Amino acid sequence: MNLALRDVRRHVARFVGTAAGLGLLLSVVVAMQGIYAGMVDDATILTRAMRADLWLVQRDTRGPFAEGSRLDPSVEARASAVPGVRTARPYTYQLIQREQRGAVMRIALVGLGWPDDPGRSLPLVRGRRLQQPHGEMIVDASLGLGIGESLALGGEQYRVVGLTKNALTSGGDSVAFVSVADAELIAFDQPAEAAVLERQRVVARLRGTDLGRGQPTLEDLVTDARWRAPALASPPVAAVLVEADPHRIAEVREVMRSWGDVSVYSQDEEEALLLGGVVQRARMQIGLFTVILTLTAAVIIMMVMYNLTLEKTHDLAVLKLMGAPRTRLLGLILQQAWLLGALAYAVAFAMGELAFPMFPRRVLITETISLVAPVATMGIVTLASILGLTHVMRIDPSVALEG
Amino acid sequence: MEDAVRALDLTKTYGTGPSAVKALDHVTLTIARGTVAALLGPSGSGKSTLIKALGFVSPADTGEVFFGGRLVVKDGVPLADLAALRRRHLGFVFQKANLTSFLTARENVEIACEFGGKSDGRKRARELLEYLDVAGRERSYPEMLSGGEQQRVAIARALANEPSLILADEPTAALDSVRSRSVMELFRKVAHDRGAAVLVVTHDHRALDVFDVLYEMEDGQIRAHQQERPAPPAAR
Ligand SMILES: Nc1ncnc2c1ncn2[C@@H]1O[C@H](COP(=O)(O)OP(=O)(O)OP(=O)(O)O)[C@@H](O)[C@H]1O
Ligand SMILES: [Mg+2]
Repeated sequence: MNLALRDVRRHVARFVGTAAGLGLLLSVVVAMQGIYAGMVDDATILTRAMRADLWLVQRDTRGPFAEGSRLDPSVEARASAVPGVRTARPYTYQLIQREQRGAVMRIALVGLGWPDDPGRSLPLVRGRRLQQPHGEMIVDASLGLGIGESLALGGEQYRVVGLTKNALTSGGDSVAFVSVADAELIAFDQPAEAAVLERQRVVARLRGTDLGRGQPTLEDLVTDARWRAPALASPPVAAVLVEADPHRIAEVREVMRSWGDVSVYSQDEEEALLLGGVVQRARMQIGLFTVILTLTAAVIIMMVMYNLTLEKTHDLAVLKLMGAPRTRLLGLILQQAWLLGALAYAVAFAMGELAFPMFPRRVLITETISLVAPVATMGIVTLASILGLTHVMRIDPSVALEG
Repeated sequence: MEDAVRALDLTKTYGTGPSAVKALDHVTLTIARGTVAALLGPSGSGKSTLIKALGFVSPADTGEVFFGGRLVVKDGVPLADLAALRRRHLGFVFQKANLTSFLTARENVEIACEFGGKSDGRKRARELLEYLDVAGRERSYPEMLSGGEQQRVAIARALANEPSLILADEPTAALDSVRSRSVMELFRKVAHDRGAAVLVVTHDHRALDVFDVLYEMEDGQIRAHQQERPAPPAAR
């Protein structure tokens, strides 16, 4: 006869209620781990999807994700010339925030090196890659734009041609992919007001020089809206991505390391920088929360189990008096603890299935989490029943005779 | 008739120094199988203490207890597995709240059968409840049973493993005199039908004619020992 179940049967509602409460607590622990895993997974898509062997960034920076990096575009040509390099392509990365239909929209804008990379290795869920160097973009579905919709950026319209899923920065911003040229256009776009002000400043400066006073027609030139000052150099890029022959990567890396203006990172190193710089603190924070929540759950379970045992003291004394084998009584407590743990886990699991998809950040239940969570739950409930078990051992059967 | 239990020179003192209470003072007694004995005496005379010593719940400080002819406790030291002894050969009935509250009447009896190693617990539990005339309440929880029904279920449970000794500490305290008498008569029936030795602590002097033997305790000693009538012939 199973005593544990028969005891639970007498107060099913209370037992299930307790289990549900614990389950919710547990689901918070799982969610924290899942959010962290999701964060890492989302963030690394930025490096993973680029399929680069080497990342060249501004010397002594840890860019372009953990900090800004500005690299002269000529590096691209220089890198292409290194023996063993298959392709070298520019890469830009910048965060922009625009208002779209009244809502604030934060976008991490990635410039892909056209024509080498039209989004080749992006995990598209719908649509296609870029087919034109200008006016097309691939965005993350989290942005809420559909295929064919347009987004106005820097006075130009960009048509959405492809959608990715879960391409988010570690800050949770959606990523959009355009060609490097478009990215620069967007980045260096000035609002009309700023352009007017700059023109006035140029005119004022011109008037202060001999050249300006001597050649008044120059003024007409700089106030012409179509006129752009000739660039001294093309704008910098954030990084240059290099693909090399697999067996020559080390060699290529050696060559580039000797260049004075770049730092070279492998794909893994770049990923570590991305996570280390941005996700590391979140990881510690979440780890700490997990420990606290786990301890809280353990203490609560311990008190619940202890109380469940205390209120059965007389019944247990009666059973002891009848000569119940010790294992039966300890088993009664342990089985209830396990039942509580199993129910709580089931509740947490159901919560996860129902609620996690509605969270603003992705909750990624990795294989490790789904393996560790039930094992840890059962471990905790087992440990937490120690108080109850020691109480069972201490019950004096003569208590039963006292009535 | 074979002795179910024999106590030799049991002594037990609670506390130390001036506040020490001698609850058992050189108590010697023997209860034969097939006998129903009453243990009488004023409050505080040591009746419950004696029951606990004979039932291997809290042993006496000194003295010996023989069970079925075997020495099992000597000077407070167990010489056998007392829990196993309790579940196989002893039955307890006490004042109130006797039953396991989360088990139904039938399950209360069944679990005792199980502890005693009986395989057909359920069937046996039904038979016992029938024997004690509470078969109709087998699915009820203790709190839904009247005091008398509870005591009958408790007696059924005490009988689960055909014990050689049944110890009852004021089993009728919560019952009216009619019910109280019928419980006492049940004990007698059990002793005589099944050959168990039954020792009942009672304050109820109206039902004393039911018992074969009367023991009277005072200040931890057995003062009087009265054979009410000759022990009946062996029941089996
Ligand atoms: N656990 C204990 N600690 C200290 N003293 C105790 C304890 N149990 C019993 N006593 C004392 O031992 C003496 C005998 O107690 P016992 O319970 O055996 O009496 P009793 O005959 O059963 O009385 P009652 O009829 O009131 O149940 C009493 O003086 C009591 O105060
Ligand atoms: Mg007493």
